Amino acid sequence: MFLFNYRYRLKCIFKDRQLMFWTFLFPILLATLFNLAFANLSSADSFLKVNVAVVQNQELDQNPAFTQAIDGADDLFIVQYTTRAAADALLKDNQIDGYIVFDSDLNLVVNQSGLNQTIIREFLDDFVQSSATLVTIITANPTALDNGILAGVSSRSEYLTAVSASQSNPDPVVNYFYALIAMTCLYGGFLGVKEVVAIQADLSAVGARINLAPTNKLTVFLSSMLAATTIQLLELLILLAFLIGVLGISFGDQLGYIALTCVAGSLTGVTFGACIGSIIKKSEGLKIGILIGSTMIMSFLAGMMSADMKYLVMTRAPILGYLNPANLITDSFYALYYYNTHTQFFTDILLLCGFTLLFSTVTYLVIRRQKYASL
Amino acid sequence: MVINVKNLVKRYGDLIALDHFNLEVQEGEILGLLGPNGSGKTTAINCILPLLKYDKGTIEIYDQPMSPEAYDIKRNIGIVMQNVAVFNELTVYENIDYFCGLYVSDKQTRKKMVAEAIDFVGLNDFTKFHPKKLSGGLLRRLNIACGIAHKPKLIILDEPTVAVDPQSRNNILEGILELNRQGATIIYTSHYMEEVEQIASRIAIMDKGKIIAMGTNEELKQMIKSGEHINLELLNPEHLKLSEIQALPHIISVELTDHQLVVKSSRGKNNLIAILDHLKDQNITIGKIYSEPPTLNDVFLEITGKELRD
Repeated sequence: MFLFNYRYRLKCIFKDRQLMFWTFLFPILLATLFNLAFANLSSADSFLKVNVAVVQNQELDQNPAFTQAIDGADDLFIVQYTTRAAADALLKDNQIDGYIVFDSDLNLVVNQSGLNQTIIREFLDDFVQSSATLVTIITANPTALDNGILAGVSSRSEYLTAVSASQSNPDPVVNYFYALIAMTCLYGGFLGVKEVVAIQADLSAVGARINLAPTNKLTVFLSSMLAATTIQLLELLILLAFLIGVLGISFGDQLGYIALTCVAGSLTGVTFGACIGSIIKKSEGLKIGILIGSTMIMSFLAGMMSADMKYLVMTRAPILGYLNPANLITDSFYALYYYNTHTQFFTDILLLCGFTLLFSTVTYLVIRRQKYASL
Repeated sequence: MVINVKNLVKRYGDLIALDHFNLEVQEGEILGLLGPNGSGKTTAINCILPLLKYDKGTIEIYDQPMSPEAYDIKRNIGIVMQNVAVFNELTVYENIDYFCGLYVSDKQTRKKMVAEAIDFVGLNDFTKFHPKKLSGGLLRRLNIACGIAHKPKLIILDEPTVAVDPQSRNNILEGILELNRQGATIIYTSHYMEEVEQIASRIAIMDKGKIIAMGTNEELKQMIKSGEHINLELLNPEHLKLSEIQALPHIISVELTDHQLVVKSSRGKNNLIAILDHLKDQNITIGKIYSEPPTLNDVFLEITGKELRD
């Protein structure tokens, strides 16, 4: 009976087009939209070199130190030497952020103020300050040149070293995809609702027919839930393959743990739906509405619409984070991707298992009865 | 005895849905459970099956107490629900196979039973159709096939012809008679008295949660005073004295509307002849005449004071 029912439930779920759209196609569509929307978000923060022109004149030729200094700052500037007229034209066409006229005052010409213009200004101020320092030192003590003072003044040293606390580089975009997977896991609730409705005599006519048959209701229910979980896992597997293979989203290299998160998340999602389906004695539409509403709120709090929300919840109301299955799922992925230990990961998985147990127990207590007060 | 229900009481809050309901069903009969909507027919069936909790009473099927775990009893019962109970995602064949599979685990046996059920309800040309593609009549037939494919000894049909066209209704009723001929005991609930009269070997009339009369069609009609309903079209009723007709033997009531005279008589011989003789003596010309025997509606009307179709 277990396998017989399992096979037919698989068939029923697969052939439910509406269900397959929401639990399978919709997350893939959403992932594609996310990818299009966030494609340039990561690269937006990378530094673009400042385009600057230097006007060639006699004074510039007499001060090779400046040419040497600005050419040496090739990680900051893309420099082109040109005439003043050409520099004006380049500035007018916005092909450069500004141009430098090396005369007695070392002038900077810009047509707007902004970050790039400030960078050029800072560079020039630094050059003027260093030059003045050297002139002062040499005037006061000409022998200082022999002691390597020039190298000391012009050199720049980093005294801080950046050490990453994680094994991967932080990427704010991936959290959106983690939240999307969390949402997909909880959308397994659609399957849970469907299975409970199909087995309860007070919720559907087929449920009544199944209750009249000489079969153990718990056996039928368990095989139905297994069918729902199987499909949910399959859908998640395809979504993950799509995210990794097609969209190039990184989930780290701990595939076993990723699979474990998917299993735990799916079980939580399916049992969450079953719980809603069993305790709400209203129409299936209302059950689905409540499921969608609660899933969207949980996904929102887990950072699906705004990455800052997850941070806000964890700093202002951390308990809410631990009571939110969607947040636990995103946290599991986050922990796998960023942390070097698995403490946080297993905490999240255990909490998800706790939720699964809670939802299953409530569902069992409701559906175990075989006679109803009313139909 | 197939079913023995004693003093069944079912309450929904203050409403008493079944009020000391008693029922006995013998092997091989077709018991028609007749009553207006809300009389408690479906509640009684749901308690017997047993889907519904009840407050008081005992239910035995095949001399065994009925309970949700009574799998041996359930195996012998087939249900055709009032609402069509099939999966929209499965084809006609798959639906019948699934519900048959809840009773019969052997694949080969099941295959044969499903084929026979399809043949029985005449859905051979629709086995690969999904329920949404079927007409109302065909859907009802699928509903029946799902309930009887496992060849139950007791079949309970709860208003199986609701919203079905007359042709499909006749097919369904013929099918039920055939199932009975094949040996099945049948309980048939309906609020259509014509259907119950047509197929039931015994009829139980329900009202307000209890059985108010039970017997064969003839036995029920014998219980009441009403006999024939005589309708006469009178061409010149101007000089008719209704009191003189009322005074004739066995006449219960007389009513004249326009040219239409309706006479209700109690049981007795030659009632129509006596009326015709009287009209002839009064020189009243008669157009059309027809007379009909009492119906189950008359039985219900006389016992409860209200129409069955109210």
